[in-house]
Formats: sequence, structure tokens, C-alpha cells
Amino acid sequence: MNLMPYVRQMASDEVPENHFIVVHPLDDIAEEKVDTSSLGPMPMTRSVKYSLFALRAYLIAMGLLVAYHVIDLAGVFARQ
Amino acid sequence: MQEKVLTIEKTGTEAQTTPRGWVVRSKWMHHLLTFLMVFGPGLIVMEADNDAGAVSTYVQAGAQYGTRLLWLIVLLLPVTYFIQEMVVRLGIATGKGHAAMIYQRFGSWWGRFSLIDLQLVNFLTLVTEFAAIALALSHMGVSPRLGVPVSAVALMLMALTGSYRRWERITMLLCLMDLGWIVMALKLRPSAAELAYNSIVPGIPAGGITANLMFLVIAIVGTTIAPWQLFFQQSCIADKRLRFADLKWARLDTLVGACFTIVVAGCMVVVGSAARRHGISFSDPAQMANDLRLIAGEGMRTGILLLMINAAVLGTTAISLSSAWAYGEVKGWPHSLQLPVKKAPGFYAVYVLCVAAAAAIVLIPGAPLQLIILGVQVLAGIMLPSAIIFLQLLLNDKEVLGDKYVNKRWNNWVNWTIIVVLFTLSLILAAQVVAPRLFPGS
Repeated sequence: MNLMPYVRQMASDEVPENHFIVVHPLDDIAEEKVDTSSLGPMPMTRSVKYSLFALRAYLIAMGLLVAYHVIDLAGVFARQ
Repeated sequence: MQEKVLTIEKTGTEAQTTPRGWVVRSKWMHHLLTFLMVFGPGLIVMEADNDAGAVSTYVQAGAQYGTRLLWLIVLLLPVTYFIQEMVVRLGIATGKGHAAMIYQRFGSWWGRFSLIDLQLVNFLTLVTEFAAIALALSHMGVSPRLGVPVSAVALMLMALTGSYRRWERITMLLCLMDLGWIVMALKLRPSAAELAYNSIVPGIPAGGITANLMFLVIAIVGTTIAPWQLFFQQSCIADKRLRFADLKWARLDTLVGACFTIVVAGCMVVVGSAARRHGISFSDPAQMANDLRLIAGEGMRTGILLLMINAAVLGTTAISLSSAWAYGEVKGWPHSLQLPVKKAPGFYAVYVLCVAAAAAIVLIPGAPLQLIILGVQVLAGIMLPSAIIFLQLLLNDKEVLGDKYVNKRWNNWVNWTIIVVLFTLSLILAAQVVAPRLFPGS
């Protein structure tokens, strides 16, 4: 579909009344976002902290398990 | 005319410009044009997930169980959409990438863990992408020693142009090439009634729950929802500088991408099931393409091989970028595709290094590719549930998202259900690694 008869390009401050302007996000003025850098670490309840600690232990155990399995598959233990 | 200063956050570049846009008279045209301008990150993240590993997994699923597992792929549509929609909200609200958010809100241990795990899984995945390119090229009579370096250079040039829009247009064109899978599937004349039934009615294939079936189910889930997608889409949205007003269009972009990806994945299963119907057994999709030539002609063979390369190229550019963006965010380097190479050398260096090293490993004779493929599946399976837990916690963070963008109660129910299912699959995978005879053999 040819959109050209329906649209024309112009600066945002020249838009006539009862018309809409569509600006590409990369051409638009940067809008203010949430300033996360000043927030610091997320406040957590004790249960969330313990859950994350358990998750950390689980991930370390799984990582070691995978490492062992991959080394085993590579035949390192068989050669010794 | 009023001059306005446009500042690109975190990149340090400044440009004086008056915002220019397209003026339209009707509201529907306004909506259509806005959507087209926002359209991109959602489609790319979803379609790039149908990478070389996904092609292999889906055609294997078709070859082993016909179209019986289509319901599982359909079930993954809302799952993948819900997860990526959260990323969209987070990206638009903060204008920052996922890696930066984990560092800022959960501290350096989790930040480092996420970054190292992401880089490791991404790199191993990239090796499998180039392995697929080498395989497809060798079946087409092109030496991988020539084809792989040429592909790597093309992938580097795609991103090094200093224009986000150029990269996005090229990548979206590659995404649309995946329509070829639909053509291939239709050419093989599947039974429409069987497809509809198997897409809607869940069921276990004949033979019951075997080790093979469990592994394939985990592989399908793992290939449809991958950790790099979270990091990629949030960074991509931040790089494209999507605005709060773009949220509904970014959601639609993600939904369109999810639907397209699931349809394409279903077509890959159909192609695999056609091979099974004709008694063709294969070890990889390239071999399947060769054998399908006898049934569906030379076009089918060439088409599948080209689509394999396309899938690998799409996966490579998206995965390498997710690594480069994440590294740039954490290191505080300028990290935008809008920047020329000299203004973001670290960001582009990570991208180039990922592509070049993965391509080089594939060219080493006797490289342990099977071991790498196994490593990708297992590490991704381990990483995914924890990555989604962080996403879930971030999406409940009112300090960051406020009341408007924070998860609603129903969001949390859906997401915790997804997390429980993913953790269960992750534990089954772990159990299979420890005790391979846990489930009966196929």
C-alpha cells in the first residue's frame, strides 16, 4: 500500500490542527525514565533473601554437576 | 522554529535537532504508522529464537513423534508472550538493559553470575549457529573454510554501520524470510485435520513417557524460551528509545512476533513429520533436506538448507548483540547501535569477538561440537528459571515501576506458575544428568 498520498513529513512544531504527528522513537526527544541508579539495592523481606540464598546454592550445585558431567563425557576421567 | 537538544542517555552523544515526523489526517493511519515505527524488537527477539538449535529440535520432534507434540508448541505461545511482555514494560520504564537492572537491584554477585552465565551460554550457542552454517554450506557444495568466514564478516558488517535502523531493517528482512518454512510445510501437504487436532488436544505420543520424550520436551521448552531473549529485548527497546506511549504497540509487536514464531516452529515440526511419514531417518536437518529431495524435489532441499543458514544468521546477530549490550551496560561503556564504531569501541569489540571466536572454533578440525550442544541445553535449562525469578522480582519492584507498570496480581499468578513448571523441568534435566536411567528408554 502506498502511504505517500496520506502522509507528509514535517517538523513537530508545524503540525496543523486536527492532524496527528508520528515521530520515530529515535528521532524524538529523549523522555525522562525512572532513575534507577539512585535507588540502590532492592529492599527484600527475609523470606526473599533466604529464597535467593537457596537459589544461589542450587545454581552452584547444578553448575558443578554439569561441569562434572561434561568433563566425564569428554573422557577425562576414563584416561586416568 | 524551536531548536531542541536530543540527548542519547548513557552514550554521551548529543545532537541538536527538531523532532520531525509524519503528519497524518486520520487516527487509524496515526496508529498504523506508530505501530510500524515501534515494530521490530518483538518480532526479532521471537524469530531469532527459531535459530539453528531450534530448527534441529523441532524437526527432530516431528521426525520422532509426528505432529503429536504441536500442542506443546502452541502452549508455549502465551508463556513466551507473558515473559517477554514483562521485559517490554521494564525496558520502556527504565530505558536500561536487563543486565544493568540486575546489577543495580540485586548486587554484584548476582550481576556477575548473570553476566558470566549469559556470556557462556551465548557463546556456546553461537558455536552451534556457525556449526549449522558450516553443515548447510557443505551440503550445498560450498567449503565451510570459505563460507563460515564470509558469513562471520557479513554478520559483523550488519551491526557495524552505526545505524540501529539499518540493522533492524536487515534483521526484519531475515525474519520475514522464515515465511519460507510455511511454504515448505504446505508443499509437503500435511493433513489439516490432524494438524488442528494435535495443536489443540494435548496428548502423550505412543510409547508413553520415555527418556527421549522428556529430553525432547525440555529441549522444546528450552529452545522456545531462552535466557538471552530477556536481555536482548530489554536492551533493544532501550537502544531504540521506545517511549511510555509506545507500550501498547511494543506489546502488539511482541504478540505478533510470538504468533509468527510459533507458526514457523509448527511448520518445522510438519517438515520433520513428513520425513517420518516417508520413512526417512536423519541425524541433522541438512541430511533430512537431502533425503526430502527425493520426495519433494530439489527446491525443497535448497530451501531447507537456505532456511537453516538464515536461522543461524538471525540467531547469531541477536545473541551476539545481547552479549555486547549486557557487557556494555555492566561496564558502563557506550553501547548503542546508533553510535559509530569509534564512539563505542568496547561494545562493538564484544560483538565482533563473539562472532569471530565462535566462527573460528567451528573451523577447528575435531572440535567437540556434540559436547558444546549438550552444554548449551543444560546451562540454558539451569539459567532460565533463575533469570525469570529476577524478572519477576523486578516487575514487582514499585520503586522502579510505580503502580502503573508493576505486575498485577494475575500477572504474578501466571508467572509463578511458569517459574514452577520451568524449575520442575530443570530438576528433571538435572536428574537425567545424574541418573540417565531414571526414565525408560525409547
